[in-house]
Amino acid sequence: MGAGKSQFTEEELQDYQDLTYFTKKEVLYAHQKFKALAPEKVGHNRNAKLPMSKILQYPELRVNPFGDRICKVFSSSQDGDCTFEDFLDMMSVFSDAAPKAVKAEHAFRIFDFDGDDMLGVGDLRQVIDRLTAPQRLNDNDMQQLLQYILDEADLDDDGALSFAEFEHIIEKSSDFSKSFRIRL
Amino acid sequence: MSGGERKKRGCDRGHGWEEAGAEFYQESYPAAIEADLQQALQKDPSHIATLLPSKKSRVATAKRIRNDTKTTLRRRTSTRSRGTTTSRRMSTNIHDAAVSMLPDLSENLSNEERTWEEIMQIKAMPVCMSQKMQLKNQLQSATKLRLQGFEQLKWQRRKAWQQFRIRMKETWSKMELWNDSLKKIGGNFGMGIVAYFLFIKWLMYLNLLLFAIIFLLVVLPAILLETPVSEICLSNNTASVACCSELYRNMTDESDSITKIVQGILEYTLLFYGWYTHKIYESVGVNFYYNSPLAYICAIISVFIISLVAIVRSAAKGFKERVVEGEGQFYQYCNLVFGGWDYCIHNEKSAAVKHKALYNEIKAFLEAERMEEERQNRTREEKTKLFFIRLFVNLLVLTVLSACGAFIYYVIDFSFDQLTYLAQEHEIARLFFEFLPYVCIVGLNVAIPFLFRYLVALENYSPSYVVRATLFRTVFLRLASLVVLLTSLYRLVADKIPENECFHQQFRRMNVSNSTNKLPLCWETFVGQQFFKLYTTDLFIQFFMTFFVNFPRSLIARHTENKVLRFVGEQEFDLPKHVLDIIYSQTICWLGCFFAPLLPMIAVIGTFLLFYVKKFTCLVNSTPSSKIYRASRSNSLFMFILLVSFILAVIPVGYSIAEIMPSKSCGPFREWESVWTLLIATFSCFPDWLQSTLFFLGTAGFGIPAFVILALLLYYYYAVSIANKHMVTVLKNQLVLEGHDKQFLLNRLSAFIKQQQDQNKFHQEQTNELGTFQHV
Repeated sequence: MGAGKSQFTEEELQDYQDLTYFTKKEVLYAHQKFKALAPEKVGHNRNAKLPMSKILQYPELRVNPFGDRICKVFSSSQDGDCTFEDFLDMMSVFSDAAPKAVKAEHAFRIFDFDGDDMLGVGDLRQVIDRLTAPQRLNDNDMQQLLQYILDEADLDDDGALSFAEFEHIIEKSSDFSKSFRIRL
Repeated sequence: MSGGERKKRGCDRGHGWEEAGAEFYQESYPAAIEADLQQALQKDPSHIATLLPSKKSRVATAKRIRNDTKTTLRRRTSTRSRGTTTSRRMSTNIHDAAVSMLPDLSENLSNEERTWEEIMQIKAMPVCMSQKMQLKNQLQSATKLRLQGFEQLKWQRRKAWQQFRIRMKETWSKMELWNDSLKKIGGNFGMGIVAYFLFIKWLMYLNLLLFAIIFLLVVLPAILLETPVSEICLSNNTASVACCSELYRNMTDESDSITKIVQGILEYTLLFYGWYTHKIYESVGVNFYYNSPLAYICAIISVFIISLVAIVRSAAKGFKERVVEGEGQFYQYCNLVFGGWDYCIHNEKSAAVKHKALYNEIKAFLEAERMEEERQNRTREEKTKLFFIRLFVNLLVLTVLSACGAFIYYVIDFSFDQLTYLAQEHEIARLFFEFLPYVCIVGLNVAIPFLFRYLVALENYSPSYVVRATLFRTVFLRLASLVVLLTSLYRLVADKIPENECFHQQFRRMNVSNSTNKLPLCWETFVGQQFFKLYTTDLFIQFFMTFFVNFPRSLIARHTENKVLRFVGEQEFDLPKHVLDIIYSQTICWLGCFFAPLLPMIAVIGTFLLFYVKKFTCLVNSTPSSKIYRASRSNSLFMFILLVSFILAVIPVGYSIAEIMPSKSCGPFREWESVWTLLIATFSCFPDWLQSTLFFLGTAGFGIPAFVILALLLYYYYAVSIANKHMVTVLKNQLVLEGHDKQFLLNRLSAFIKQQQDQNKFHQEQTNELGTFQHV
């Protein structure tokens, strides 16, 4: 309890610094942010598990069309509930310092709704729908768009994007690493 | 885990793919394969493809172990730890996966440095924190060689360097300006707009650097060092440098009215060229001297070189990104879908706008694709109609541009005329006429773009082309107005210099004391003043427009339901316009920095203020834009335009350095024919060998071979890039073919497996039947 500093030992902070893209100060700052989501609970137990609805109150995640997916991907219990360590992992991946490859891996998991390790047509459709919500593209446009995406990226012509293909796109997209970040 | 085991696993990992591939077809782990297959087949036989090793991400691998212990990676360890408890197995599995995911650093027993490197790699792994922690502990407790002697030292140094870098980063991030502002802007408007603000910041730092150079080389010595005694004017030679200087001194000293004082402040200060001395500072007794004219010109030249290097470096970075991105618009749809959302957006309103913008953008892309098709089947009649419309609009734009140029030219002429004939008493009027041309220029720059934006809508271009077309027309307008200003200044200044200006001035002063100002005594200072005025006017207008015109407009828009009023009041953050604003003032800074050495300082303050002005425009006045501005693309565009305006600024400054004779009464170059002659004189003081080398570099004997070699190199790289491009297409085709092959084989395989399963079932049924039959 009390100030953020007293909740961690120097050793733990060193661990966090080694295992994330953050410095010790940033870790403490991240913890402040985490604590702000549920001051009571985190005050008692610095690594309390917060339900997904609480995590989704973090401003950037609240408006993010993939907020729930992000929580699920980073949650150590797979159900979207995050502990502070999960939250720290999440912020570390979204930080400026994280390299493109790391971001790409997580992005792939976020976009992979059905969890089959491929971005199939269904996944892409959901991604696009979430992006354009509340409007929806009509079927014709959607079909066309999917076709264009697969034309561009599906190198082996199997109707779905594998991780290698996805990584290839991300490698060539300078927009991605600029937009796939959340400032702490 | 012992070192030996780890080593083994390292090897494992190296052959991971082949091994996994072999495993797939081997029957040595029938249970595992069966399980996977069963799972895959239950879904869909064609989904067998997802089991291919190439389809697996490191994430997927890690996830699998976490999800269910029955899949892929377990196969690898299953032979080893069958007997242990489930939980134990789970953890080893995780470690196996994690270790096997690390790059292969341990060919043999690892040493401290390797372990440390591996620990540093853990953070890149897509597993949760507790697992990372376990992994770290494990790596730390594993037996390892201690490094000896020099190696140890090297490692320690690396570690210390890393620590230092982290520490530096921390302090730097604390010192960095405007972090919160940028976060806020990003949250509301996305990264494209943030790129613009980062550009402003970049320009401010650039100006700061330029200012530092000029300050150190020119201003500081001028303040600190003792000014040498000027020569005494001998009455028999009134045209000499000494006499002119004295005359100029006297003139600036006698300030008897308000405008005179203003003029005086603007005339003889550190700000302008005229103040700086042409003498060489010498300390008596000590062997020290400081050649201030040489320092002055060197400072200016280095300012330009540094600006150029900074721009080119920054532009090249953007350009490299563009090239990597693929030729042209190669991945536009993927980019849009996967990189479309700005994860830093944090408020509902902008999120809604972003959703809408993305929707529109997707629509626009599809529309463009359709338009492209349509364009191909456009009828002849439509084509001619469109052609004439475009021709007409372009002619109109040209007319407007030249009309603007002529207008500015006459206004400048007119106001200078008025200034000459107006009596000294009309101070306010004089002040008005002094600033009139600049107000006109800035006013035109505000008004004409609206017209252009209206005109471009008639032309029926594709959306991305529209942005570029308006942008370049407006750039042209701004630069054209600067060119007109420059030519009229040149006409005022350069024509009259070769005469014996001082003598004339003196003569005129004796006769008609009123009209001294037709011809400025120190034309460099005069020109510097013009740029100074233009810069401040521009800044002021920006300020005024933002707070007194656009702010009320936005207030109106926010508090009314009336459609007309809303139309008047609502404004989007129109990125091209704002980019032009900032580039324009930067151009003025470059143009003026020879004549007003402290202009970069003003520019630092200016850009600093502009950041806040633009932030206000962005956050308070504007609604989020319905256009999507790409962060990557916009930055290279900014740099390109900046480069164009930089070149435009260099030409006149270079000309005035090389050709125009400096005035005799002021400035560091008053003794010289032109600034260039000073450089030549300095050159002739160099040691012989250096002189001859430099001279040789300038001759055709060196130039032509150098040119040929450069051309050859260029051609070589061109050829290589063409070959690479060709190779890329070939490889891509091959990849597609391989994909088809794989597909084919997989289909065969799944069909075969299915067949076998059916057969098995059939056999089983048969045996069962047989059994029952026998039983019976």
